[in-house]
Amino acid sequence: MSTSTPKTDYSTWKLLAWTGPVFFIGFFVMWGLLADNFPPMAASTTAQDMWQHYKDLQTEIMVGMSVCMVLGSCYMTFGAAVSRVMRRIEGPEGMLANVEMMGATITYCPIVVACGIWLTCALQIDRLSPDMVQTMYYLAWMIIDLAYMVTSWQIIAAAVVFLRDKREKKLVPAWVSWWGFVTVASFFPVSLIPFFKTGPFAFHGMFNFWIAFPTWYVWIVSMSIFIIKAVSRIEIEDGAAQPKEVPVRGGAPLATR
Amino acid sequence: MVAVRSGSGETRRLPGVEGVWVFVAADMVFFALLFVSFMLGRQEATAVFEASRQTLDVNFGGINTLILLTSSWCVVLAVEAVKRNALDQVPRLIAGAFLLGVAFMVSKALEYGGKIKAGISMLSNDFYMYYFTLTGIHLLHVFAGNILLIVLWNKARARQFSADRCVVLECGATYWHMVDLLWIVLFPLLYLLR
Repeated sequence: MSTSTPKTDYSTWKLLAWTGPVFFIGFFVMWGLLADNFPPMAASTTAQDMWQHYKDLQTEIMVGMSVCMVLGSCYMTFGAAVSRVMRRIEGPEGMLANVEMMGATITYCPIVVACGIWLTCALQIDRLSPDMVQTMYYLAWMIIDLAYMVTSWQIIAAAVVFLRDKREKKLVPAWVSWWGFVTVASFFPVSLIPFFKTGPFAFHGMFNFWIAFPTWYVWIVSMSIFIIKAVSRIEIEDGAAQPKEVPVRGGAPLATR
Repeated sequence: MVAVRSGSGETRRLPGVEGVWVFVAADMVFFALLFVSFMLGRQEATAVFEASRQTLDVNFGGINTLILLTSSWCVVLAVEAVKRNALDQVPRLIAGAFLLGVAFMVSKALEYGGKIKAGISMLSNDFYMYYFTLTGIHLLHVFAGNILLIVLWNKARARQFSADRCVVLECGATYWHMVDLLWIVLFPLLYLLR
């Protein structure tokens, strides 16, 4: 019986790594711009005005949220690509790669549930009372925001492993890992959102929307970029691909990673 | 670690690793934005903010400042002791910093308890919202710092630090000084600013 090790499927790995940018670009366009959540409707908005908002933007919100429910799954596939890169650093017995993948997967749950609630609000707007719309709007925000600890575990696991990378040039630079810790620190005050409808700690306020969310967003963008590069570097390390050659004027070509 | 040559020719080194400075800078920007938000809120409701400020016990604020400054001083002495290779002193100094960190948390708990007993919460008005949230977020930093100090204490007892191997201790010290510095801004902002 043959016991040969299966070959690493770099193409699938790269494809999964590219779902990171699909997630952050798609979410920004569909959730932020199309569904008019940039910035979101304030927590202090009256029930009647919330109802009117959903009535006026019914189609945009329905399209935006249904696309987001599909695109949100890209966070899970991106997390799988990150996890495989982590495994190359911590070895097959490492647990943090599992924590990262679970964190990314479970982060998709509040995203899909919250988007589903906002979608239903728009879909059923003619049958819902203003108070019901307001309640559903709050409900979705509480779910999507207060699940931050799951994402925090994902980010902490990735940061710890990438900081332990012994390579001279780490697969993911140390600043991205430290930015991960900044992201986690910025999440904790989000726990205050149930208590305030105005001010910096409301869900549309300075801290939650303009600090915690963008900080996470910067982490996703930077991690995506370096994971895509890391997969190519691992492919070269494994000898499955050659370094690209950069022509140098008046000299021999330089190999790059 | 980043080494830079100063004007006098001697090489100066950034303590710890660059990453911890990224963290410290970002964290302080978050707090700075909250301080600006507090000042804007204060401008809109000066009377409410002033009346509420007067209910705070300046003694608590002052004692807490002394506690944190002394704790930071212990950490400075610990780093210096490592650099002098006086490794016996290091666990004691870190333990001192930790105990003072715990004292700060106890003092804060007493202060919060007094406010809650008096029927004051973060929902009472905008001043108390800032008071509880700013000091609460800072308290979380103190809590995290105390955990860090326990880790450093264990490493010091295991003799894992030496004059040329103290980056982890410097990272911890940098964080603890940031916690101290934030309180030094918070104290006058909440307790003293008229």
